[in-house]
Amino acid sequence: MSHSTEIDSKQAWDGGTSPFGVSYGKMMMWFFLVSDALTFGGLLVSYGFIRHKYVDVWPKAENVFTHFPFIEQHLPLAYVGLMTFILIMSSVTMVLAVEAGHRNDRKKVTIWMFWTIVGGATFVGSQAWEWYHFIIGTETGALRNVWSEELHTYVQQTVYGANMTVNEYGVPQFANYFFFITGFHGFHVFSGVIINLVIFLNVLKGTYEKRGHYEMVEKVGLYWHFVDLVWVFVFTFFYLL
Amino acid sequence: MSEFHDDYPSYETLAHHSEEEGKPIRKNLWRVFWYMLAITIFELVVGSMAPSQGWSGTLGIKVLFIGLTIVKAGFIVMAFMHLGHERTFMKYTILLPYVIFISYAIFIILDEGVYSGDPQNRTKVDPLLIKQQEDLKAGHGHHADAAEGHGAEHAEEAHH
Repeated sequence: MSHSTEIDSKQAWDGGTSPFGVSYGKMMMWFFLVSDALTFGGLLVSYGFIRHKYVDVWPKAENVFTHFPFIEQHLPLAYVGLMTFILIMSSVTMVLAVEAGHRNDRKKVTIWMFWTIVGGATFVGSQAWEWYHFIIGTETGALRNVWSEELHTYVQQTVYGANMTVNEYGVPQFANYFFFITGFHGFHVFSGVIINLVIFLNVLKGTYEKRGHYEMVEKVGLYWHFVDLVWVFVFTFFYLL
Repeated sequence: MSEFHDDYPSYETLAHHSEEEGKPIRKNLWRVFWYMLAITIFELVVGSMAPSQGWSGTLGIKVLFIGLTIVKAGFIVMAFMHLGHERTFMKYTILLPYVIFISYAIFIILDEGVYSGDPQNRTKVDPLLIKQQEDLKAGHGHHADAAEGHGAEHAEEAHH
């Protein structure tokens, strides 16, 4: 928060006070997130490069992700839309937990943190489901020239689903980038859920009640929103465009 | 709380507010949520209409989607992550280095990606794959002849 009246401008740079008006821990969380965002930015930029290179054979997401759990219909992008909704929702519950923390309202922090963890875990599970269907592929598969080690030549062969070398939906690079970027993001969500769980247990124990402020909730909140932020971009570049 | 914290003033407790002050803050957060939900639904509707309307891959739709993504990112960073309410100095310390690096990276991939996608610079692509993508573009993909309702396990697969 901006509290410019609290700190004399003459004192700001002579030690003892933060010119940024935030605590050390929060600023370091921001710096970490900038570096992490650069990593994701680099990955997405490299995805863009390869996509430009193979623009004519790049698969369209609406032909790849067409499944929805328990419904036997062709529903392109519906499930990923739901996943996006779940993650945005868990971001909202997180920010409400942070807001409750600012009022030292332990009960509300507990409730909202709980729903954040539920949302995060649901998202990770959905991503696993999405991966599973992408890996096993369709019943029909697709014809490909696959390199044979015994014959030392390419042989025509039907391939099913996607892995790091073949991809029935299009160029293998699509699968490589999909696995790497959504995997890296999924790992962030997974660690976010674990970190949220630790903070949640601390809230239950009353650690922050004793400390007098819930800034740890705010810090994990920053990380959690960042995970949502990355997903917004992954969603656009992998599924929409 | 630890030796790493400067002890004065206590920035952690400065962020406190009362119940009444919290009300408009919560209202604003929910409003941001509804905006983001509306944008996401809009994106999905446009995205699912795109193939039949012939919008897929057009410049207009790309600009639209990327623009909306940046709007959503702005909502998350400014409202949810609270950066919009931090001190100006803090705000630009976080935003400017990132924007500068990524703008440069985007410029360089657009430039080099177009160059290396040129047929004379490109590694060979499996001709069967090229044919599959052409078929898909023409509207009769390899999924088209898949029968409906095969067994329990693969039932939700391969419908088109």
